Amino acid sequence: MRDLNRIIRSLAYVLELLVLFMLQETPGLFPPVYGVRPVLVLPAAAVIAMLEDETRAMAFGVIAGLFCDFGYSGMLGFHALVMGVLCFGVSLLVQTYLQINPVTAVLVGIAALGIMFGSQWLFFYYFRYSSPGYALKIHYIPKYLYTLIFVPLLYLLNKALAESLPSNSGA
Amino acid sequence: MRDFLKGSSFKALIITVVVLLGLMIYTASAGGSLIASILGFVSTPMQSVATEVTDNVVEFLDLDGLSKDELKEMVTALQDENSRLQDRLIDYTQVKQENERLKVQLHISQQAPENEMVSASVIGRDPNDPFSGFSIGIGTLSGVSEGDPVITDKGLVGIVSRAYATTSKVDCLLSEDVSVAAVSIDKQESGLIGCNITMASSGLLRLSYLTSETALEEGDIITTSGAGGVYPANLKIGVVQSVEKSETDVSKYAVVRPFEELASVKEVQVIVSFPGQGEDDTVTDPGPEDSEEDGE
Repeated sequence: MRDLNRIIRSLAYVLELLVLFMLQETPGLFPPVYGVRPVLVLPAAAVIAMLEDETRAMAFGVIAGLFCDFGYSGMLGFHALVMGVLCFGVSLLVQTYLQINPVTAVLVGIAALGIMFGSQWLFFYYFRYSSPGYALKIHYIPKYLYTLIFVPLLYLLNKALAESLPSNSGA
Repeated sequence: MRDFLKGSSFKALIITVVVLLGLMIYTASAGGSLIASILGFVSTPMQSVATEVTDNVVEFLDLDGLSKDELKEMVTALQDENSRLQDRLIDYTQVKQENERLKVQLHISQQAPENEMVSASVIGRDPNDPFSGFSIGIGTLSGVSEGDPVITDKGLVGIVSRAYATTSKVDCLLSEDVSVAAVSIDKQESGLIGCNITMASSGLLRLSYLTSETALEEGDIITTSGAGGVYPANLKIGVVQSVEKSETDVSKYAVVRPFEELASVKEVQVIVSFPGQGEDDTVTDPGPEDSEEDGE
């Protein structure tokens, strides 16, 4: 009860991830570009990780990853694991080396989404299906670039949220 | 560094990694899970509403070619109509949608009355799936189980790959994971319908393991053969677009254009029971060397 803002902020993040998951799953909402649509929960989790301490960043990464696992029909845990570790690393990186601004948010998005989609391609496509190079070209890279467009927007949204509900302890 | 390794956050990271690895192994071996069903309970109603709203907006925006006056008249008329029907509108919409579904189901049932079906709406399409798989708003509570064929009135669409309590995942025919024993109703030649990413990006299917002397030609209709007991016989799949020589052996394959737009289907029927279901589930990819017999 000492830090009500942090609790409300956390609930807002979870709600945000849930809404973004609904939006990305809804057919016809985002126009397909080269046949692909954006994955919104992943950049949201990466941006949230920049604004939170590493344990909470990991928790939001796991939640975002579980949504992706559920939507993708793959085994539960893969995206959660990768996103959890990624968000933990992003949070530590930002606390230690980086400032929090739109430029670093885009750089973090480029790196985090690149690792996420790269591992998705490697573990879910490369070892299972034919023509992995073609799949990378027509699905994974366009999806990566389309998703990156949303990083600045999600950064501004979550930055505003974090500033409107600051933690009493300053974390 | 040493402080970090001894810190509570690092311990939390290790615990999380171990728990998630356990979850991955469990779901990979056991299939559906409690967590997925709980997520389904939370997300399914919201996904249904979001999909319905999006469909309505898309329909509203599709008003090409109307002048400003015409649009004004239309708005006025619609406002009048809206005020009269306001209290009945929600029920009307639901009944109309249900009616459409039941009409489709009746049409399909009349064609194949022996199949037991339930209707469902497509409530989600995951952007991570390169093969256009989708989610439907019914699950095990409605009698759906993994392996149930999914169809529309135009033909076969796919197969239920995961069934949770209130939602199910469908792998459509464009997925490399889906193989269907198929037959040409004109020429009585059998093969195996499959797909790869190259053809999936064009919305086409591949009927493999045809002999080099195949008589198939453009325009021939392909249906399920029923072999293997995975799909009922005589479900429409598509029409032959061309016949090509295989890249790896002397056999040929047919490029098949499905009757249904697999990447944009909205309403489907799930066949939960059909005669001959599961009679022989040993049908596998026959491989090029023993193509003709096992392709059936």
